[in-house]
Amino acid sequence: MSLVVVVVALVKIIIMVGFLLNMAAIATWADRRQGAMVQDRVGPNRAVVTLPSIVVQALFVLPPGIFATFAGFAAVKGVPAAGVAESTLLALQASVFVTWFSLMVLCFVVRRKGAANGLDELVASWTPRSILVTGLAFHVVAFVVVSGMPAAQMPMASRVANGLLALIFACVGIYSAAKVPEGKVGIRLAGTLHAIADTIKMIWKEDFVPPKGDKILHSLAPILSVFPVLVTCAVIPFGRTLCFRDLNNNGFDFADIGSVMPAMGSTFQCPKGTAVPLQIADLNVGILYIFAMAGTGVIGAAIAGWASDNKWSLLGGLRAASQMVSYEVAMGISLISLLLIYGSVRLGPMVEWQSTHTWGIFVQPGAFVLFLVALLAETKRVPFDQPEGESEIVAGYFVEYSGMKWGMFMTGEYVEVITSSILLVTLFFGGYALPFLDPDGIRVAFGDNVLFTYKMNHVAVVVISAIAFFTKVIVMAWAQVFIRWTLPRFRYDQLMKLGWTRLLPLALGNMLVTAIVVLAVNGHADIEGALALVADVTQALIALGMLAAVLAFFFGIVEPVKRQKVLLSTAQKFAAAAGGVRMAPRQA
Amino acid sequence: MAAKTQSTPWTKPAGKPTAGKVVPRPARTAQVQAYLPEFFKGLGLTMRHFFKNTKEMMLGQKADPVLESLSEGITTIMYPEEKRPYPERFRGVHRLTLRDDGSPRCVACLCCSTACPAQCIHIEPAEYPVGDARRGYERFPGSFVIDELRCVFCGFCVEACPCDAIRMDTGHHPVPYDSRDQFIYKKELLMTFTGRDGERLTENPRHEPGDPSHPGISRDQHH
Repeated sequence: MSLVVVVVALVKIIIMVGFLLNMAAIATWADRRQGAMVQDRVGPNRAVVTLPSIVVQALFVLPPGIFATFAGFAAVKGVPAAGVAESTLLALQASVFVTWFSLMVLCFVVRRKGAANGLDELVASWTPRSILVTGLAFHVVAFVVVSGMPAAQMPMASRVANGLLALIFACVGIYSAAKVPEGKVGIRLAGTLHAIADTIKMIWKEDFVPPKGDKILHSLAPILSVFPVLVTCAVIPFGRTLCFRDLNNNGFDFADIGSVMPAMGSTFQCPKGTAVPLQIADLNVGILYIFAMAGTGVIGAAIAGWASDNKWSLLGGLRAASQMVSYEVAMGISLISLLLIYGSVRLGPMVEWQSTHTWGIFVQPGAFVLFLVALLAETKRVPFDQPEGESEIVAGYFVEYSGMKWGMFMTGEYVEVITSSILLVTLFFGGYALPFLDPDGIRVAFGDNVLFTYKMNHVAVVVISAIAFFTKVIVMAWAQVFIRWTLPRFRYDQLMKLGWTRLLPLALGNMLVTAIVVLAVNGHADIEGALALVADVTQALIALGMLAAVLAFFFGIVEPVKRQKVLLSTAQKFAAAAGGVRMAPRQA
Repeated sequence: MAAKTQSTPWTKPAGKPTAGKVVPRPARTAQVQAYLPEFFKGLGLTMRHFFKNTKEMMLGQKADPVLESLSEGITTIMYPEEKRPYPERFRGVHRLTLRDDGSPRCVACLCCSTACPAQCIHIEPAEYPVGDARRGYERFPGSFVIDELRCVFCGFCVEACPCDAIRMDTGHHPVPYDSRDQFIYKKELLMTFTGRDGERLTENPRHEPGDPSHPGISRDQHH
């Protein structure tokens, strides 16, 4: 193994672990803060860092400044001829997006806090909806302009577009910095600092070990519960395979790092050179490794319950062990039907199958429901949180834990949420695949009828696929958190009954039916062709659904909520006369 | 069958069954038993609340905690920055109102300290110096002390005062201090507080001795 391979592997590990740990903190925040918002409370958001005004201004200038510098370099130095068209389109669309998005934010801010100058008044006189619609119209105009541009003018256009982008970024940064008030400014970041404050608190808290407990096992248990969920992600592909050219014909070395393939064929194989899969370890056992690692997660909970020398924690540990072992069975069998279709236990080929055909949820909706239920039970979260049922056994297996050891259990739980959404995305939601995004660009086709093609750079495709993967994971994690906010806890006997008498037979039946159907369909070209057409239709549905979701999000956000004011009491009438609840200066 | 209760003046007439309202119980329909439809209904409800509240927070369009306290939406008050307006007649910390020349209106008649059920007001009356126009008509408080920890905020002192000299219209509740002696408010401090309108004076006219509008006896009138 050469040094370059080790370095590349380290980079991949850093990306994955960094994503997991950051997302665990953000999921903690989301679970507490957004869960409170569901119940009409604001949740923990008071953790604050007070910074001098000049530092806050720097924070506002820095990110747009960095982007402006990159765009300015591209404008001055020019872009390599291979990517000049894409660079023009990207810079122009980014300019349009940054402009309308900043104007919308400015509109909201000015309407809330009052205008400071003529520009503010002008922006406040527009409606957020009109800004949004105009911005979308400009996106279309930019696309048409770049598509109709002759290739000879493209280098110049690229420079102009990048210069425009740099200018807009600079304006946005400076104008937002100018809006920062004088004096000390409290930074709350919508309450995300609360997770950090909690971590600092937990590190300094007393680390209590029960005097009659097993001290070694008591310390070992949190590690055993965090470790398996972290290592599960080693076999997950989080982006398309990156292909490098071999410049000096001596295999993959550091000189080749800068020379990614400019364009690809329509297959997944690299034509020549080196393929670097965006996957930490491409194990041939694939999904079995995930089950093996996830299965060891039960050891941490069980040991924690036993080593604490507490009857509630022992009960919690027992419950955790029996629950996780029970649902492991249904979980594994529900996936076998999927493996029959994908024809592989390795995760790379699974995602490739979904990329070329359709997402797993359309082939196996039943297996998806079974797998989702089993996965929720595996993560030991509501509605399957009997191991830590507060109303019955206080906090279950970690009742005797405090400080950062307890924090590790919580971190493990939230990392598990992210890990399980990674699994769901990889197995059922196409992994890094996006509808109609082939290795060589966008190709909208139904069967053999090709409607639209657009060739893209290899790097662009890889980056888009990685972004798609992480976005899907975030959405799935959020959906899991939503389930926690909605459902009450099952009773313990209901849990066992659901696992053994419902999920297991259903999973077995699903496996049987799938096996018969796969055998029947195999080798019949006409049926397979029809199924491929149906697969393309589902891909189109996904694409339309994603577009609709994004548009609905933006249009929903700009529409203000209308309230009907009915004054019921004299106190309310007085408050109305006083102008409602008032902002007051902070008092000593 | 339940035993009939004896009829007493304190119970309902015996023998008559209570006519209760029939509460409809949710039936175990197939839809409920299938779990998933109800599950998605619940998810929809959660999401509706979430998106509505998030949108309001993002747009800075939060429901007013007083005006719309009964409507749905987040009505949390971010306390130090936001404050709930107290009712108009809220009895806050006391203040000593001033005359036009900046001296307290109080004439040290001890009505307030006499009326005080908590005995939290202590006044030491003092005489104006010889030659002062007010000497012989009224006294002034040499020291005026209110123990805000003993005070029960009943407002009797305000009602007892014949001179409109003590008021509880500051609109402030007592600030939490870290030691008890800080709650002993002295005359100088009480004179610095303003009413809700920001004034240290009151709108009631004050007639100084010697003014033509002074309603009482003057030095020229002899008995």
